Amino acid sequence: MSDRGVVFDLGYSPHEGPRLGRFGAVRAVLKDGVRRVLGLRRKARRKVMPWLLFGFALLPAAVFVGLAFFVGSFSPEAESPFGGHVEYIGLVGTLVLLFVALAGPELLIPDREEGVLAVYSSRPLTVGDYLLARAGAMAIVVAGFMIVPNLLMYVGFAALDERGFASTLVGNWADLLRILGATAAYLLAYGAPALLIATYAKRNGPATGVYLAVILGSTGLAQGLSQAADIPGGRWGSLLSLVQHPEIVRSWIFGRVPDTGSIPTEAGFDPWVSLAVIIAIAVLTGVLIHRRYRRLM
Amino acid sequence: MTDPIITSTGLGHAYGDIVALHHVDLEIPPGRVGLVGANGAGKTTLIKILLGVLHPTVGATTVFGADPQTEPIVVRARLGYMPEGSCLPLHQTAADFIVYAAELAGIPPRAARQRASDVLTLVGLHEERFRYLGEFSTGMKQRAILAQAIVHDPRLVFLDEPTAGLDPEGRDEMLDLISRLGEFGINVLVSSHVLPDIERTCDWVVMLDGGRVLRAGPLEGLTDTGTVEIELVDDPAPVAAALTARGAVVEVDRQTILFTLREGDAFLLARDVLADTGAGLRRLGPKTTTLEDIFLEEEGET
Repeated sequence: MSDRGVVFDLGYSPHEGPRLGRFGAVRAVLKDGVRRVLGLRRKARRKVMPWLLFGFALLPAAVFVGLAFFVGSFSPEAESPFGGHVEYIGLVGTLVLLFVALAGPELLIPDREEGVLAVYSSRPLTVGDYLLARAGAMAIVVAGFMIVPNLLMYVGFAALDERGFASTLVGNWADLLRILGATAAYLLAYGAPALLIATYAKRNGPATGVYLAVILGSTGLAQGLSQAADIPGGRWGSLLSLVQHPEIVRSWIFGRVPDTGSIPTEAGFDPWVSLAVIIAIAVLTGVLIHRRYRRLM
Repeated sequence: MTDPIITSTGLGHAYGDIVALHHVDLEIPPGRVGLVGANGAGKTTLIKILLGVLHPTVGATTVFGADPQTEPIVVRARLGYMPEGSCLPLHQTAADFIVYAAELAGIPPRAARQRASDVLTLVGLHEERFRYLGEFSTGMKQRAILAQAIVHDPRLVFLDEPTAGLDPEGRDEMLDLISRLGEFGINVLVSSHVLPDIERTCDWVVMLDGGRVLRAGPLEGLTDTGTVEIELVDDPAPVAAALTARGAVVEVDRQTILFTLREGDAFLLARDVLADTGAGLRRLGPKTTTLEDIFLEEEGET
């Protein structure tokens, strides 16, 4: 036998198996989006922020359930500011704001700036498919942020409840729907503007900065406008408080009074107006993003 | 001619006041087809219309019988595209991105991984497959771009300036790869302004200039002038005289004779005349022209 290596040209074999078409393409974009925002299959430094935020979201819930397990007298709703679902969603909502500030640009900007859109334009995929899959990726991860810790508390406290695990789970099932509803409100209110800014920005860092400035600055603007008595219709300016709309809707869903300092509420708007504003922002954002991408893909 | 894979009728496209394509009528057969023209000739515009990314201002086009404007999903499911310039995510490894490119075309995940591995081997990137694309050299990036274009086994692949930015060695390897695509049963439309690249890789050519089709047809027919070239060791005068006597139109340039024959086989005539005169032959063959000559000639006429 020769001791010299031989290179075999394996040539090329055509793909004769199934092709999943548009469904497969959308699934691939969705999977890539989830990986991308969580930094999976990327360098280690790209994993740091999303997993740190996810850890912050999960840790208090795990601690509360643990304390309740080991310290029988511990009652999270009575002894912690984040004990109940409504308060916990408020806490996680802040983390979600930071998360979408990072995730929105990561989902859209690299594809555009690195020329990857050209690859999508030679695949069985429409502009709408691509954008929905990207938004879907954000929705999956944001839902994970908000639902996983709440689910941990829901199941954990049910297991420790004196009424019994099964009966508590069944008895509180409406809370699950409320958690889902609140999650959707936060996702639309925070996620849509993040994707819109990412649609026009060229780099991730500035896009995150602009998003946070707009979202957080909107509260100050809304406060100023609603308190300016000499501006006609200044009351409507209170609706610019983008951060507070999902918080108002969350309180509404759980049957609570909105937090003090809620500008739209103090200006006399009912919670359904906040819900309408969130939906309007999401629809308008979707139209603008689609119009921009229709020219690119 | 076999059924065309691409047709266009009266196709035109304008960017505002700038007309990029002007009444393009084409029927492109299967095989390796070159799309040549200077920068701004309309090559990339034509490719983007065929992909369904751009919409023609006037006219119609089909790819495998489907209209890219009204049936983009049907058309794109059969295509691959290597764009001019990068299309690589810099923070992904070559393997991950090529798997993703295959899945984007609807290949199931397990098959996508296998195909990505095979195609990266084919383009010579197997050893580099776990490196991040941002760390690749220009030549490696071009190979990775080609890999994403063929990983899903398309029926037709558009290659837009595939040798741009490559050094001579890289260019040579890329052209070899393109030549091999035809052997794999993949139809190829190569856009380039480097005419020798097209001569080397294609068997059919479309010449574009200023958005108009200058000429379209088989490369062999385009470059064959119908003239026979004989280079002699001895004095060419007796051979030239004998050729003229037998009806050939002859031109002599030092030791070289160029002749054409209106009727009959010019090579048989050359054989007979050389045998009769006993002239010493250095070289005998068809006189071919280059695409560059044709392009310049056609451009001059328009």
